[in-house]
Amino acid sequence: MNLEMKDISKSFGSNLVLDGVDFSLEGGEIKALLGENGAGKSTLMNILGGVIDANGGQIFLDGKNVSFSTPKESLEAGIAFIHQELNLINDLAIYENLFIGRELRKPNRLLDHDAMIKATEEVFRRMELDLDPRTMVRDLDASYKQIVEISRAMLMNARLVIMDEPTTSLTDPEIERVFAMMQTLSRQGVGIIFISHKLNEVMTICHSYTVLRDGKMVASGLVKDVTSSKLASFMVGHDVVEGKRAEGHIGKVVMEGCSLSDGRHFNDISFNVHEGEVVGFTGLLGDGRSELFQAVFGAQKFTSGQLFLDGQEVHVKTTSQAVRLGIGYVPRNRKENGIIKDMSIFENGSLATMSTRKKNLVFLDENRLEEEFKAQRKALSIKMDNEDDPITSLSGGNQQKVILARWLSAGPKVLILDNPTQGVDVGAKEEIYEIILSLARSGVAVVVLSSEAQEVMRVASRCYVMYHGRIMDCLSSDDMNEKNIMRLATGVEE
Amino acid sequence: MKDKFEGITSIKPVAWFRNQWAQRPLFSTLCALIVMIVLQTIALGFDQGSFLGWLSLWTRNWLNILRNNATIGIIALGMTFVIITGGIDLAVGSTLVAVGAVVMIFIDGSATGLLTSIGITGAPAYIIGILIGIVVGLALGQVTGLLITVGKLPPFIATLGMMNICRSVTQQCMQTINPSVPRSFTKIANLSVGGQMFMPIIYWLIIAFIMHYISRHTAFGRYVYAIGSNERAAKLSGINTQRVKRTVYTIMGALVAIASVLQVSRIGSMDYANAGSGYEMDAIAAVIVGGTSMAGGKGTIAGTVVGVLIIAVVNNLLNLLGVPPFLREAFKGVIVIVAVLLQKKEKV
Repeated sequence: MNLEMKDISKSFGSNLVLDGVDFSLEGGEIKALLGENGAGKSTLMNILGGVIDANGGQIFLDGKNVSFSTPKESLEAGIAFIHQELNLINDLAIYENLFIGRELRKPNRLLDHDAMIKATEEVFRRMELDLDPRTMVRDLDASYKQIVEISRAMLMNARLVIMDEPTTSLTDPEIERVFAMMQTLSRQGVGIIFISHKLNEVMTICHSYTVLRDGKMVASGLVKDVTSSKLASFMVGHDVVEGKRAEGHIGKVVMEGCSLSDGRHFNDISFNVHEGEVVGFTGLLGDGRSELFQAVFGAQKFTSGQLFLDGQEVHVKTTSQAVRLGIGYVPRNRKENGIIKDMSIFENGSLATMSTRKKNLVFLDENRLEEEFKAQRKALSIKMDNEDDPITSLSGGNQQKVILARWLSAGPKVLILDNPTQGVDVGAKEEIYEIILSLARSGVAVVVLSSEAQEVMRVASRCYVMYHGRIMDCLSSDDMNEKNIMRLATGVEE
Repeated sequence: MKDKFEGITSIKPVAWFRNQWAQRPLFSTLCALIVMIVLQTIALGFDQGSFLGWLSLWTRNWLNILRNNATIGIIALGMTFVIITGGIDLAVGSTLVAVGAVVMIFIDGSATGLLTSIGITGAPAYIIGILIGIVVGLALGQVTGLLITVGKLPPFIATLGMMNICRSVTQQCMQTINPSVPRSFTKIANLSVGGQMFMPIIYWLIIAFIMHYISRHTAFGRYVYAIGSNERAAKLSGINTQRVKRTVYTIMGALVAIASVLQVSRIGSMDYANAGSGYEMDAIAAVIVGGTSMAGGKGTIAGTVVGVLIIAVVNNLLNLLGVPPFLREAFKGVIVIVAVLLQKKEKV
């Protein structure tokens, strides 16, 4: 099957997400679709998958002009979209998952298990797979789950498969297995669109590539004609913004980690953070940096390694202990991890200090908490009417500042910020950067976790780049540029 | 919320009323209570000859209601904390029986009584008995808390298990022992001041005030709300969520122990098979009617007190109207359902 997407445009409100993108795929071709977060990859694929409508442009399948308004129509035309979050039910067998919602029945309306198992076996034979359809999905490893999703597409005679970052949560042997599957399908003439951030994988498995940046197609061609660092520079473009930072005084090492591992998300991590320094941690989805610092903060466990605070080894078992030790933590995903939606702005801003601000042995020193919050409110210029209003009445940027206030009142020695500008508008973003920098100038050791290279370059004086749970390198000064970050974050070693 | 008062909002008191109704959960609960009290007063009748005669009847009726509901009232206070954290405690009735049995063994006034036989009687024996009872309540609560936090059991399951264990073990142990409650012990609940017995009411109100202050003005109290609203965010704000939850169930155990002492003192005996059965549901019902959300994070101690009163007044009203006892439970069910239907619900 031949796919041609011509001059596809899409805008959300006044925001142009796709600007006249061309994209094509031959039968049996494996094509990488590359781009940074927000480049328009998902939008383009969602248009192809019938999830959203395009504003302009045409789609041709084998020369025939088509348009899909629902995922079902797209699927019926032979296009299967395998999402990053797998859509399988763990407590059902493989064949039951394959037929879910379209079960085969006997004339008496009862399920025809035998026919479903037979059909599944038939698909597996075509895919050269040795797998019992009766196996429970729970018992499969992540790569086989991925393969079960693909076989569901094959059962429906898909001729084109879109795979959205299929290898994110897989180990190396599992990745091999998925790649072998992709090659088998390719030999049988199935076209595959492979969305990934991992350039070394792209170099291994893909025949061709298309790079999107800011909603435009910026490069397209054969993989054998490019290098991975060339692809990385296509992705970030040439207009690399220079970070402007005022250097403060950098003092002694405050926090140091020595070969920290949790046996799952990160491995053999060593790092240090100095007084008055902003250190960045960056990488792509699934690099393990969030899990690493949740463990530093006592919300998860290390299985090995040592953590030092002011030269003393510490074993942080609970988050309350971390707070007592002088560690602060602004989590990612503010809505799930940050705000307490049933509480007021003031209470959300005082949550980390309540336990230590007491009038006597029992009761809260409400006046002191209030004064501290007022001071932070002024320092961070949080815009609000009344501090007793619910936190949900504030905008994203102001909510984030309230969470910052929560920690600044506690006066931490080390402040960890995970994706501090998530869901924050541009103006507030810049304000938060300034807050981070002035915090460092006042002597706090700051760790900023972010997947945006520009953000890290804006605030950090050094940055560790992680890939698949390991630290690839620590970049500083001139080496800390988007090209190097992207190269390391995509697992390309030189 | 749908606009219930559309068209009449230009009138000032109506606007005020509408505003209060929408803004303050406690306001609507209080309105319900006032309506119930008015109905109950009407049902009580005014034909008492003199105003003083009517007033004394009305007061006596009220003291009766409050006294009879003090036990549930005290349990409901602890249940409020439990439910605000997003949990539930089904074991309160059985814990009440277990603690009651322990207390009775220690205060046993007969010659073979545990303390009597070694020469300790009267107030010292009572104090020891009550303290040990409270310790048992604390310990049972702590066990429940550990099952929920360290054992990671859902509160429903952990307390369902504790419910069966406590009653069953108590019944087995108390098969051959039959402690008698000394007459003077019953004074704790039945002390008559000015011809009226209102000690249980006083205990209930004192505990309610303490719990109210804890919920509003201590870090622990605020953490209870934070955990119920968003446990993960609470943990990531440096709150020891496990310890707070354990403490909540431990407080629950202590309050059940106090309720148990009151119950033993008031009745002077305990039926180990049936005492306290259904208390868990009555307490949960009162907490819910009082505006606490089963989903956690929202609720007040004051609301729970009002919730207990609403259910009590309706029971009294049904009694005055001569509704058959079997049907009264149905009304309780209706109240709970209506109360939750009226609560503001978040969209899924």
